[in-house]
Amino acid sequence: MSSVSKSDGPILEMANISFNYPGSGPIVADLSCSVHEREIIGLLGANGSGKSTILKIAAGMLRPSQGEVILWNKPLKGYRNRDRAKLLCYFPQQLDVHVPFTVREIVGMGLYPYEIPPAMTVDDAMDMVGVGDKADAFVTNLSGGERRRVFLAMTLIQGAGILLLDEPLANLDIKYQIEFLKLLRRLKDARGLSVVMALHDINLALQFEKVMLIKSGEVHGIGAPETVLTGPTIRDAFDVDIEVRKAEHGAYITHEKW
Amino acid sequence: MRPVRIILFSSVVLGILLLALFAGPRMFNPFNLTTMDRDILYAIRMPRVVVAMLMGMALGASGAILQGVLRNPLADPYILGISSGASLCAALGLLSGFYFFGSMSVPLTAFVGAALVSVLVGAFGWKRGGLWPERLLLAGIGLNFLFSAVLMLLMSVSSDEGLRRAVLWMFGDLSMADWSLIPSAAVFIVVGMGLVLSRSKALNAMILGDEFAHSLGFAVQRERLVLFAAMALMTSASVSLGGTIGFIGLLMPHIVRFLLGADSRLLVPASAVAGGAFLCFADLVGRSILPPMELPSGTVTAVFGAPYFLYLLRRKDVLSI
Repeated sequence: MSSVSKSDGPILEMANISFNYPGSGPIVADLSCSVHEREIIGLLGANGSGKSTILKIAAGMLRPSQGEVILWNKPLKGYRNRDRAKLLCYFPQQLDVHVPFTVREIVGMGLYPYEIPPAMTVDDAMDMVGVGDKADAFVTNLSGGERRRVFLAMTLIQGAGILLLDEPLANLDIKYQIEFLKLLRRLKDARGLSVVMALHDINLALQFEKVMLIKSGEVHGIGAPETVLTGPTIRDAFDVDIEVRKAEHGAYITHEKW
Repeated sequence: MRPVRIILFSSVVLGILLLALFAGPRMFNPFNLTTMDRDILYAIRMPRVVVAMLMGMALGASGAILQGVLRNPLADPYILGISSGASLCAALGLLSGFYFFGSMSVPLTAFVGAALVSVLVGAFGWKRGGLWPERLLLAGIGLNFLFSAVLMLLMSVSSDEGLRRAVLWMFGDLSMADWSLIPSAAVFIVVGMGLVLSRSKALNAMILGDEFAHSLGFAVQRERLVLFAAMALMTSASVSLGGTIGFIGLLMPHIVRFLLGADSRLLVPASAVAGGAFLCFADLVGRSILPPMELPSGTVTAVFGAPYFLYLLRRKDVLSI
């Protein structure tokens, strides 16, 4: 974690955020939400509902037309780029690297915001996500799952306490999806990470501790999945006929026969 | 493994430089030089080798910058029309008698051309919030045609002495190299190289994409501007020394990535050194193959570069980045 002290209050807040591109309608409208330490929040919504835009605003990549992002009780825009990078990290959906960097080189880039490197070494970070044996392999030769883990190692060494992940499970098979989520949970427990993650799989989201459902750039529901992800809310947000069933191992969804 | 490769790479570069200096239609024995040999070496051969080295260095580094910033393995100042834009602007400067800045006038006007064309190519290549490789490439090819046509037009309507230089600029030629050209261009190259070397971490991050670069703490737009300025400085210096020479910026970063890796902290300076050595080699071939006639160095670099460009075009992933 960063040098910022432990907090009981929110570590990242979005207050009354609105956003639109010039000449277009609102993509995010009066959105407010907060992230606490050691929280993993699933961000759900239909395609085009504004999930990626919300994450990019939270990361400081897009300036909201209204409202403010507060990071550790200070406006995000007041941070120097390097200082922000030590606290907050954004992980894009596309990890298309076409240049043959080695795994070690990519992970080492996580140290760029630092003049004096933090305690964690590149080897530690690679071992933590299980790519230590591939240190000298070219990242272009790795599978999608391995590549995501490499970038996660880069993020870990960057030392940011908040990870904003834009559909990190996209293009991963179910085995890697579960492995990735388990890894995040381990890191949350071991290193106190907070994670906001956009995802599409409602069945996976039903196992999160907290989810946020977005519809047309507005918060449609936020809280525990059993209260936010119900049949009516999902039908409303996704415009599809879905039922949420309860079972011994947890809830799951069923949908109309296609 | 890498130290061995670095030693091999350095040895090849050194070998080429020595060959470029002492070999050619007239051979010199470095251990038995007459006074006349020394005079010829100093007045003709050495400035030519230094000019080739500087031009190649500028183009190799410019290619590494462009391929990284644009995330496009086909990017090169020649292919994107930046070199020909710099040539045209420098030629216009010469024809209009612009000598306000003395020996700096030619590289300065070339820099204005390179910067303007960079913006123009970027504007054509930009669509829906991103740079599209196909659009960039087509814009570059289109602008190349346009600038060559305008340069031709200028040549046909003018009888100015300065035009002789303008003609050579179109094809790239080192036969007019002399010491007087070197200092002003060298200043541009040193400043450009200094800028890019100080920003090489940002360049690495930008290769991963703007979003990662932002996340790693870089001000992406500012870094892109600095890196483009460094590229434009070096490309314009190269053009002011010997005109438009193609494919060095395309080839060298690919070769260096294969030999020494992709980290820009090594890739940029190594592409520069490789570019310098390659242009020395191309010039040596150009002046040795059909003596006393000299082939323009740009022709020789195209013989190697054009087939590689076509090979890259066939690779599936190249246009989908």
